[in-house]
Amino acid sequence: MPNRVHNVGYGDRTPFLNAAASAKLRAEIDRQLDQQVVEWYANVPEAAHLEGRNVDSEYYKRNLIETAWRIRMLRVSEAKALVEIAKRSPQAAQVWANYEQEEMLHDELFIADLEKVGVSREQFLATEPYLSTKLLTGYFSYLLDHEGPLGVVAYSYLVEYVNVKLEPRKLEALKGSVGESNIGGQINHSHTDINDDHPGEVWAAVRHLLRDQDDVAAFKRYLREHQTILVQYFQELHLDTIAKAEQPV
Amino acid sequence: MTFKKLTVLPTATEILLPAGSPLTEVEYETPQRLIPFGCRSGSCGACVIEVLEGFGSLGEPDDDELDFLEDLGRTGGNHRLACQCRLRGDATVRVADDI
Repeated sequence: MPNRVHNVGYGDRTPFLNAAASAKLRAEIDRQLDQQVVEWYANVPEAAHLEGRNVDSEYYKRNLIETAWRIRMLRVSEAKALVEIAKRSPQAAQVWANYEQEEMLHDELFIADLEKVGVSREQFLATEPYLSTKLLTGYFSYLLDHEGPLGVVAYSYLVEYVNVKLEPRKLEALKGSVGESNIGGQINHSHTDINDDHPGEVWAAVRHLLRDQDDVAAFKRYLREHQTILVQYFQELHLDTIAKAEQPV
Repeated sequence: MTFKKLTVLPTATEILLPAGSPLTEVEYETPQRLIPFGCRSGSCGACVIEVLEGFGSLGEPDDDELDFLEDLGRTGGNHRLACQCRLRGDATVRVADDI
């Protein structure tokens, strides 16, 4: 007779996807993300702004501020996700814990870059995060309370995949526009994502969380929904900086 | 997708995995517990294997792994912690406890 203990991740340990099926699905997901990137550049105002030669100072600074806030707030949600992941898959939880350990203090890298361009830690702390940044945190809470941890992990896969693919190009451009000595924190952040294969790490967690085709469909949907919220953030950033500066006095 | 073959002795079980897969995948390919994985983070030593063929196919061990193998008395140069390996080419291994 079974005991009353639940949510400890035991039972059938065989993943829904074996190694080959996991690699095949990942390739399919990556194709979806490639398409999302195309849509991103087509639809987000000034999507390639930081890849250009002339970078708006306010846009650049505010993006760093929001990035640091996003890391600070999401690490709380992502720590809560670890609890939910451990209930379902200790294998995924081990991977997720390691990933979080590597990412946990990366807000400091962005704060260091802010100081290089004249924004003090005090100024950063005094800046209220955008509503879109708060809403992303709220979406994470909704997911954990009502749908489970897969959606939270999906966000990290989206971000890590896109970072590894696009960040080197952006950083190369920023070396010219902002100065290499001013973007050391962002370069270090990117080193971690690439050298530690963060997309691969996050995928290893995803693979153990997927239990059936419904989860696969949900995962694809999460990737689109996260992008929708990130678009809202970049619209808010554009309106508050570049568009505001262009308005007639 | 390219597959590589891992042969695990003494049962001579052959497993095909996508190139670059961690050896921890062995656990999910067969109900047999061919390699006794423990922590899966290179710190417990449960999964020491002797690599009989294809040592270079499992990636380069880092300094932490080499130090730990030395602590475990596996200094012959052909041992690895299976949880730290990725299958990049064909290889044949044997669980150290069975040596």
